[in-house]
Amino acid sequence: MMRPISRGLLRPYVCRSCRNGIAASRRRFGTQSDQTPEIYDVVCVGGGPAGLGLLAALRASPITSKLKVALVETQDLNKARDWKLDSSQFSNRVSSLTPSTVAFLQRIGAWEHLDIERVQDYQEMQVWDGETGSRISFDWSSETPAFEDLRTVATMTENANLVRGLLGRIAASGDENLTLFSNHTVASIENGSDLKPNGPDLSAWPILSVKPTGPGADTKSPSRIAARLLVGADGINSPVRSFADIPTQGWDYNRHGIVATLALGDLDPLVSNSNIHTAYQRFLPTLGGPIALLPLPNNHATLVWSTRPEHAAYLKSLPTPAFLAMINAAFRLEMTDLAYMMGMSASESISHEDELSWRTVASFPLRFRHAAQYISPRVALVGDAAHVIHPLAGQGLNLGMADVAALSRTIEYAVSHGMDVGDLLTLERYSSERYLPNAKIGGACDLLHKMYSVPGQGPITWARSLGLDVIDRLPFVKSFLMKNAEGY
Amino acid sequence: MKSIRPGFLPIRALRAPISTSRPALCRFQNTSRSSIVHPKQQSTRNHTTSSVSADEVSHFSGLASSWWDPMGPSRILHLMNPLRHEFIASCLAESPPPSSDPSSNTSANLHYLDIGCGGGIFAESLARTVPLDSSAPAPTPTRAASMTAIDPTTSLIQIAKDHARRDPTVDTHLRTGKFRYLNTTLEDVLASKSEPESPTSSPHTTHPQFDVVTLFEVIEHIDPKTTTYSAFLANCLRAVKPGGWLVGSTIARTFPSFILNQVIAEAPWPIGVVPRGTHEWSKFVNPPELHAWAQEALMRAADTGVTRAGPSVLEDMRWKCVGTIYVPGLGWKIVPGSEDWGNYFWAVKKGV
Repeated sequence: MMRPISRGLLRPYVCRSCRNGIAASRRRFGTQSDQTPEIYDVVCVGGGPAGLGLLAALRASPITSKLKVALVETQDLNKARDWKLDSSQFSNRVSSLTPSTVAFLQRIGAWEHLDIERVQDYQEMQVWDGETGSRISFDWSSETPAFEDLRTVATMTENANLVRGLLGRIAASGDENLTLFSNHTVASIENGSDLKPNGPDLSAWPILSVKPTGPGADTKSPSRIAARLLVGADGINSPVRSFADIPTQGWDYNRHGIVATLALGDLDPLVSNSNIHTAYQRFLPTLGGPIALLPLPNNHATLVWSTRPEHAAYLKSLPTPAFLAMINAAFRLEMTDLAYMMGMSASESISHEDELSWRTVASFPLRFRHAAQYISPRVALVGDAAHVIHPLAGQGLNLGMADVAALSRTIEYAVSHGMDVGDLLTLERYSSERYLPNAKIGGACDLLHKMYSVPGQGPITWARSLGLDVIDRLPFVKSFLMKNAEGY
Repeated sequence: MKSIRPGFLPIRALRAPISTSRPALCRFQNTSRSSIVHPKQQSTRNHTTSSVSADEVSHFSGLASSWWDPMGPSRILHLMNPLRHEFIASCLAESPPPSSDPSSNTSANLHYLDIGCGGGIFAESLARTVPLDSSAPAPTPTRAASMTAIDPTTSLIQIAKDHARRDPTVDTHLRTGKFRYLNTTLEDVLASKSEPESPTSSPHTTHPQFDVVTLFEVIEHIDPKTTTYSAFLANCLRAVKPGGWLVGSTIARTFPSFILNQVIAEAPWPIGVVPRGTHEWSKFVNPPELHAWAQEALMRAADTGVTRAGPSVLEDMRWKCVGTIYVPGLGWKIVPGSEDWGNYFWAVKKGV
């Protein structure tokens, strides 16, 4: 986890001429043009949940709603806005939202734009070790008074539902001072020039050239836009990050995540009437990662199975019944676990293989990345552009939304105190709020992955099982962990 | 914050007065020597060939390039800047300057003068809050309509102007005259005639007057041998419209500030952060002294063209003072009651 000391920290110790050299080398991502750019306060590259979340938050606050903002997204945002699926169908890109993410979405008025019929809370989470069978269950029952609803551990939603809701929130804020470059791509980012004597000095401002990606482009684009603050919400291979010359450290896990939506068999009416829903996760050290089943509405569930690439390829090649058999086997591979699963199956249906049916299967590589810094003059990185973590705790999207919440607060503070929103002194407020929490969560997920990748009955297996059992028996430790998980 | 006692003041807190006031120190000495003592001579002097000594010019040239470096020697000053906005907002909330339109307490109609603006850290940040559309409601509680920033040091004004051009909003204000950097002294401003139609003209005086006059990290650098605090403050108050505010910040001359500023901050490397002798603790100013000088200055400032004079001008006066502390890792915090520990904000409202 050693990282090079960030350039910002080194600056006081680097002589001035060298510093200029650093600054000069950093900005280059395209070609030059003399045309006067259109000036925006915030330009966000990337229209995923993080980028749209930032825009929605800025539009929602009375302090920042007057800022001139733009968003550049390669995909067609109109398609995302018109996304529609039958209530019995679910997209397989599903995320788990922590209560603090849901609270943020409610605060910015985006939650009401989500289709609530398609989101599912769960109040309990069971995690167990496939090797030893030691288990832990997370629920709020010990913290919740009788006759009160259990607190939610997390809320499952399709990413498409979230994106559509955020777009709805942004549309509800009107189109004044707002430009959505849908179906547009960033052709180049470069430093501006000094528009002496009739204009400002934009030589330290990032200037983007955006161009339509195809005939579907619907916004008339000025060819060049200048950004007081350029936000990179543009994913793991962030062009904004390369423009800012921010290095990133990390490694590939050599694992793939398989995602699929499963339709569960009819539940016992007694169970389906209750509002308690449970997420299950079983660590499978010999297969390289955990398998998790998370609840969706209408007796559906989403599967996330992290495993080695060869297993992933094999699983994807299987016909439906065989794939379902594998899922069921994975949840009860060993005798002790089978017994445990059998014990649960009286009240839960997931262990009956003929009651599951799968719809679509997809997979993606699992990686760890952390940018050396989140900020640079007039540049801020959020979400996957800043950090990519192992999905075993379902925290990736939540970290991105926490970034966005912090960045929008920072921009609010700057606007109300006469600060330049792109200035390093402004942005360091954002970065100091988010860097350590993200590193902590990313590191914890990495550690969990590594601990649960050790097969057999060695000391690590023994230690992790002891740890899990001990935590499960110490209510205050567990509740501390849950409160921590809730916060991010 | 109550747990922070003077004894716990962290070492870095000491850097605040030191790194922030070095520029102001030299800047102000120029002003006081050349203009306050010899106002006539000052008014005809060309500042580019002013009495600024070669040593000081080279000192500023060295400082100049790092003035806006967020990690440079002015960092602590940059970090304090948002609190200046908050303190001014609290003054205006307590007692807004009188206005011809009483319902206009939400519009951007206040004219500011920043004395000793240096590289423009405060002036530029305030100018950024001036709305491009004058009829728009004020975006911040400071309600600025214009900013005039003055400093006698040519190189600093140039740095301030160059930096301001890097923000298109501020650049527009510079071009339209809502934001002005003047390489001049307070005495020259007072000696000048205000344009009859200008918003800063006053019915009682010929010189321009402003709703809010700011004096951040300047007063402690007065040279008591050449002028007096109350004479200097009187000049500042002459530039304040009746009912307007004079707002400043400085450092108290107390035991904790002596330990911090003289003993720790000027200790040999690696503890100390400034060369020995940079600061003169004896020149620091305590809140009660400032309060008394401000009262005297108000009476002095009332000597020209007003209907009242003497103690009666103090009747509508308001005095406000609150301490601020730098906590490493958290930044500057306003801590009421900490005025005696070191840095503090103060404000005087001139009676109507």
